[in-house]
Amino acid sequence: MVERLLDSMISGPSAKRFYTLFALALITACSSREVIVDGSFPTPLVDPVPVSLGVVFTPEFREHQLVDDATGRGEVSWSVSTGVAQVQFWSTLLPAFFQNVVFIESYDDLETYDVDAVFVPEIADVQYAIPLYTNVKVYEIWMRYRLRLVEPEQLKDNDKKTLSLDNMQPFAEWPLTAYGKTPTAFMQSDSDAVNLAAVMALRDAGAHFITSFGRVPGVMGWLENPEESQ
Amino acid sequence: MKSALPLLLMSVAMLGGCVTASVDEMTFDAPTAGMRDGSLVVLGRRHAPDYDTEPDFIDCIGGHISRGSESIYVIPEQQFVDSLYPWFEPRTAPLSIESVGRLMVLPTVAGKLQELNVSYMVWIDGRTQETNSSGSMTCGVGPTGAGCFGFGTWGTESEYEATIWNFADGAEVGKMSALTSGQSYMPAVVVPIPIIAPVQDTACESLGTQLLQYFSAGS
Repeated sequence: MVERLLDSMISGPSAKRFYTLFALALITACSSREVIVDGSFPTPLVDPVPVSLGVVFTPEFREHQLVDDATGRGEVSWSVSTGVAQVQFWSTLLPAFFQNVVFIESYDDLETYDVDAVFVPEIADVQYAIPLYTNVKVYEIWMRYRLRLVEPEQLKDNDKKTLSLDNMQPFAEWPLTAYGKTPTAFMQSDSDAVNLAAVMALRDAGAHFITSFGRVPGVMGWLENPEESQ
Repeated sequence: MKSALPLLLMSVAMLGGCVTASVDEMTFDAPTAGMRDGSLVVLGRRHAPDYDTEPDFIDCIGGHISRGSESIYVIPEQQFVDSLYPWFEPRTAPLSIESVGRLMVLPTVAGKLQELNVSYMVWIDGRTQETNSSGSMTCGVGPTGAGCFGFGTWGTESEYEATIWNFADGAEVGKMSALTSGQSYMPAVVVPIPIIAPVQDTACESLGTQLLQYFSAGS
């Protein structure tokens, strides 16, 4: 269609090809940005908490994606997939922070492993800001989690022999916020900067989690006697 | 006319290269036996809401000190921050030498710092930013080629402060600051010619040299 439109405006095959490519490049550049968050995460330097913990990553957590469709002229649609990075990050942090960690994927896992509690993280919200919208020369990402600790028995649907999160009543539930930012840099694309800000936000989530975990109501009592929650 | 063009370009280039720098220093207790037995780490402050101290500036300072003296080992910033995660993240990084004492209570952190043999920690806080810009430039693309015409100019300012902590004594032993500014130009007659004032590089050079002198004092 673009080529047909240009046909009526210009003549000459090379010029036509040039303008077609130019118009297509413009359309592509203005359409959308897709970021699959990717980074490397260090193992935390901590003395492990002496508990045995099961961890459930729900499908929503594993496949988490922030989608922001452009609403006005000059805006760009964004899609930021954090799920893979979330799993990678928490799978690095939790086994270092707790003495024993097992990843629970099925009813059989719950039957097999003897854990003191099961940790179920949920991403409540992710927001982003880029210099185009804020006039501040930093790219920012905010994350808000809803974290829960549950007795293992509550996740068992004994009738269907399945793992179920429907009727769980956590003995500890708390929000966790995280923030990451990265400054604008020469020759750095928007997508690279948002990726880096997301990695910083994940690192911040880990720092916040480690420094606040022992003070969470419900967790303090459980840490004193982990066996009691079962 | 042809002979005047190189002269004109050269004079513009000479103007554009001008950067002014001022360095301020207040230090005491320089290492008397040099840095032969220990290492130092240069870290950037990242807790301000509207800016981050640029990682490449921190690398530049570290590189300047390393190149200046073979006896000084500078631990790369990212390696240090990763090996002590999460205790030097923007949320958790100690803001004063007294706070380091609280970190040293954790056996794993104390052990890691001992393993890295950290004698000094240098915190750099600041940024480089554009201060003003003016001029205009028009670029066009046509079937026969592309080109620009116009003139643009902008000012850049770097302001950094370095704070030195002595780990062995548990004390802040000095502060240094560097303030540099310069004007960049971009004339364009068909091809834009950027004449960039090396403002941040000059700040790195100035601050790096001061730090190098401090840490080389006893050697």
